[in-house]
Amino acid sequence: MTIARPQTNAPEFRLLATPLVLFLLVFLGFPALVNLIYSVSEVTFETLRQPRFTGLANFLSVWSDAAFWQASWFSLRFGLLTAVLECLLGLFLAIFLSPLIERRSWLMAILMLPLMVAPALVGLMYRLVLHEFVGPVPYYLWTYFGASISFLGPGSAFWTLVVVETLQWTPFTLLLFYMAYQAIPSEIAEASAMDGARSLQRLWFIELPMMGPTIAAALLIRFIDGFRVFDNVYVLTGSGPGGSTASLSIYIYEAFFKQGAIGKAVAASVVLFVASFAVLYGLNALASRRKGAKR
Amino acid sequence: MTFATTKRRALLAAASIAGLLAATPALAEVTVLGWPGGPEETALRAAADAYNAKSDVAENDKVELLFFNRDGFWDKLQADLAAGSKAFDLNLLATYSIGRYAPFMEPVELSGEAKSVYGDSVLSTMQYEGKQYGVPTDLSLHFMYFRKDLIEALLKDDAGKAKYAEISEKHLGKKLEPKTPDEWTWDDYAATALYFTQAVNPDSPTRYGTVLQLKNLLFNIMVWQSVPRAYGANWMDDSGKITVNSDAYRKGLEIYKLLYDNGATPKDSLSYEFAEANAAFASGQVAAMLQWNAAASDLTSKEKSPAVADVTETVAPPAGPEGRFTHIHGLGFGLNKNAENKDGAAKFLKWLSSKEAALTYAKNNGAPALTPEVVAEVAESRPDLVKLGEFAGKYGYVMSGATSAKALSVYELQAKEFTGYWSGQQSIDDALANTEKGMADLLK
Repeated sequence: MTIARPQTNAPEFRLLATPLVLFLLVFLGFPALVNLIYSVSEVTFETLRQPRFTGLANFLSVWSDAAFWQASWFSLRFGLLTAVLECLLGLFLAIFLSPLIERRSWLMAILMLPLMVAPALVGLMYRLVLHEFVGPVPYYLWTYFGASISFLGPGSAFWTLVVVETLQWTPFTLLLFYMAYQAIPSEIAEASAMDGARSLQRLWFIELPMMGPTIAAALLIRFIDGFRVFDNVYVLTGSGPGGSTASLSIYIYEAFFKQGAIGKAVAASVVLFVASFAVLYGLNALASRRKGAKR
Repeated sequence: MTFATTKRRALLAAASIAGLLAATPALAEVTVLGWPGGPEETALRAAADAYNAKSDVAENDKVELLFFNRDGFWDKLQADLAAGSKAFDLNLLATYSIGRYAPFMEPVELSGEAKSVYGDSVLSTMQYEGKQYGVPTDLSLHFMYFRKDLIEALLKDDAGKAKYAEISEKHLGKKLEPKTPDEWTWDDYAATALYFTQAVNPDSPTRYGTVLQLKNLLFNIMVWQSVPRAYGANWMDDSGKITVNSDAYRKGLEIYKLLYDNGATPKDSLSYEFAEANAAFASGQVAAMLQWNAAASDLTSKEKSPAVADVTETVAPPAGPEGRFTHIHGLGFGLNKNAENKDGAAKFLKWLSSKEAALTYAKNNGAPALTPEVVAEVAESRPDLVKLGEFAGKYGYVMSGATSAKALSVYELQAKEFTGYWSGQQSIDDALANTEKGMADLLK
């Protein structure tokens, strides 16, 4: 049986697609257009309706702003580290907890609980948990070791934020990897065992390659989420001393609302959009090429 | 019932509703956008009720209050004013945001009593470019909170005094003697903070001598800037030249850096703001701190701060060579340029700045800073307002340029640069130079 491809130039197709196109134009196209105009204009809250064209001045201002590069570096490091850590931990838990979860599926519901908490609330929670005079962690450290680690001090704030993010989002990768692991046909495991493959060999040469696409997708999703982090970081440390924990999202937010530098904030978001698009386009092209090579 | 009857009844009902809606504005013609929730709303409601009950207030000049959520209040107000909204005649104002809203507002005329009720420094919290844009209703400033039990014990302890002198000589370069907090200079504060720090003085009864709010946050700069102000600091001079790259700012920054580096404040202080500092002080492990007046009720409440409630005292911030200062900023009400009932709104504002209104506001949980003569009339029921008015009148200041359109951005810039210095990420020279350059761009 063959399935006919939809005729995209058919009148009924156009008619049915019209609401979607209109929706996209109004809710995505218009703001995007306004943003593009603002990114090449001098504009404040008082002159939102009369922006003054200034060419690429906002882009040059962003480009020469050390804080922008500091925020970009923070976002890149934070996104990469948290994505890798969440995937490693999620993979470990998915494989080693798999027999347990199979027998007691309610465990999965408990493991998923961190995902149910809003990131801003997670930030707020850790503000209390890590506070030297209120939080349980510093209390026990002081009681038993006579010293309290400065969790949010300049030397450790980045790592604390990485741990907080990883603890919250590892359940997401655990869920993905557990499902992918479960989807591997048991016949393959049996066949490899018959061929004499040991557990580690089976994991390395058979199961991990079969889970490869899921791992790649999880890495990408978690990197994007980590790269654009805002809520929990903003609640925990703000932009940090000297802007040391400002992510790109925080940089853009502060430029827009705190400094009133609307043009500069929008220009930074355009730069971010172009960079993200380039990365995603490159990954897509890479994936297509690999797909083609396999055929 | 026929269709015609039903239709007629429906029309009559619609006409009645329309009539009612049309009649409603006539009952309350001056609309006031207030600060929702908390004591400010309670006080404003009481003041509005008192005004509406006056026999000489015309029916179409009576006041109706509007409230929306506090979250993002200032950004929403900015958007409403920029859009030319006529939804309210009077709106809330804050000292640090007057400049942002002034283009959409009109200067106001106060009652003849205003000066004697509030005093010049408090009235100045609602001024922008020499014009009065609002009536100051609530005021925020800073107290030096300290543990009187610890200070009293130190003043009686000869061995402690010797240790105090030794510590002050080592860290501040001069031998100092302990004093009562009302006589402190900023050097005395620093010496006391170091003395009560276990990392400096292992015999200290508290873990830390002080707790500094060093998070990269504009409000924390407001707390800190009374230190350089006591050494003569200002944002700019009379000619408009930025003057932050000065010895006064340098001294203020260095005192905090000294305390942070020597462990006189928790190492996590770089992520502390109002709530964290209060929690630290309330734990009983801190000897003194500079904090907003709003913390007083919690820190002296036996239920909320059992460890320190009975031994916490407040004085004005310490002094420097140029005197004793506390940052002040106020909330108040100003006139929307697009107000539909400007005359009625102006009449209410004039009344709001009178002694009668100020006392009504004070008796109903508001926090107006009143002159000693006026506050005496409510001192029994509101003893906290006595210090508020006294400190505001004697020590209150507003940095020049701190009500400008870019004031918030300046605070943001200082917060970023100065926390960068305190955390050791940049030198004091770079921090001051970057701040000077950034402020010159913002305030040009």
